[in-house]
Amino acid sequence: MKTFEENWTAWLDDKLTGQELVEFESALPDKAAAEAEKRGAHQLGALLKRELVAPALTNEDFFHHQLRERIAREEAGSVRERGESVSTWWTIRRLFWTGATSLALFFICAAFVMRDKDPTEQSQYLSQILNAHVDPAVAPNATVSMFESKQDRVTVLWTEGLKSLPSDYAAK
Amino acid sequence: MHTEATPVQPDVSDLDLVKKCQAGDSEAFDELVTRYRTRVFGMIYNMVHSEQDAWDLAQDSFVKAWKSINRFRGQSSFYTWIYRIVMNVTIDWIRKKQVKGTGAEFDDAIQLKDIDPASKTVPKQDALPYERMQQGEIRSQIDKAIAQLSPEHRAVILMKEMEDMQYHEIAEALGCSIGTVMSRLFYARKKLQNLLKDVYENI
Repeated sequence: MKTFEENWTAWLDDKLTGQELVEFESALPDKAAAEAEKRGAHQLGALLKRELVAPALTNEDFFHHQLRERIAREEAGSVRERGESVSTWWTIRRLFWTGATSLALFFICAAFVMRDKDPTEQSQYLSQILNAHVDPAVAPNATVSMFESKQDRVTVLWTEGLKSLPSDYAAK
Repeated sequence: MHTEATPVQPDVSDLDLVKKCQAGDSEAFDELVTRYRTRVFGMIYNMVHSEQDAWDLAQDSFVKAWKSINRFRGQSSFYTWIYRIVMNVTIDWIRKKQVKGTGAEFDDAIQLKDIDPASKTVPKQDALPYERMQQGEIRSQIDKAIAQLSPEHRAVILMKEMEDMQYHEIAEALGCSIGTVMSRLFYARKKLQNLLKDVYENI
């Protein structure tokens, strides 16, 4: 369904034919006024065609020369931009990998440090006792046993076969 | 549609030239510019009423055309395609100028430039000074009337009346429907008839 504006334009340009033309013209309230407006539109078209003569494009060679230069400049610019974007991308990629490697190293080191820290939670005497030994010349049947409960944070040292624990026989 | 004579490759179609352009042949693009520069410049000039601005906008349009030539698929004619670029560039420029509100719409320098200080007085073949003045006055009235239209209305009336383009060609060039083109033509004509009635009825 065409609007009135579309039908009017088509009618002015003599593009309305057949049933559409009949229907449109019969619907016009004042056909004489419409015909006068159509003549006016044709006069306007003729006036515009006659008067709207643009000045000739002077210096056509210079126009081409300038255009070629602009295209060359823009192409050089776009190539440079592409190069810059590639180098920026490389920098970003390098940064990414450097960051990832650094993080991985940090976590590995942290894991080592955490693992080393665990034993220190035990009694500080434990290592001393474990490293201590009984001189077989003094007490050949002596045994040392140790019981430990980490949950209760208790370590029991059980010694057998010792008559006494000399004061200077401290753990080494 | 009229196109300029092409002394170098008169038989080569626009589409063939476009294909060469797409393969990177800048000479082929030069040929296309030669064919359409006058029409493009004339259309822009009648939109903006300034020779210098029309020159710059024509350059912008052709640069844009070169940059996007690979997107041309040949579904429409090359001149419709280039007109679409021209119209986008020109309408954007007019809108920006209207927003900035800088300067007058008309370029008085054009009239001053037309007067050659070394010209002969009253050349026989030319119109008489009174007639020239009258013609200049008519042209000025038309330019002022066209300047009162929106950029889109200017575009449709100029493409229809100057270029004799069909509705569907104008629609393709402006990227709108045929109905919109006809509607814009309706309002543009109404306004120009109101503004220029005295001119066309008294000639």
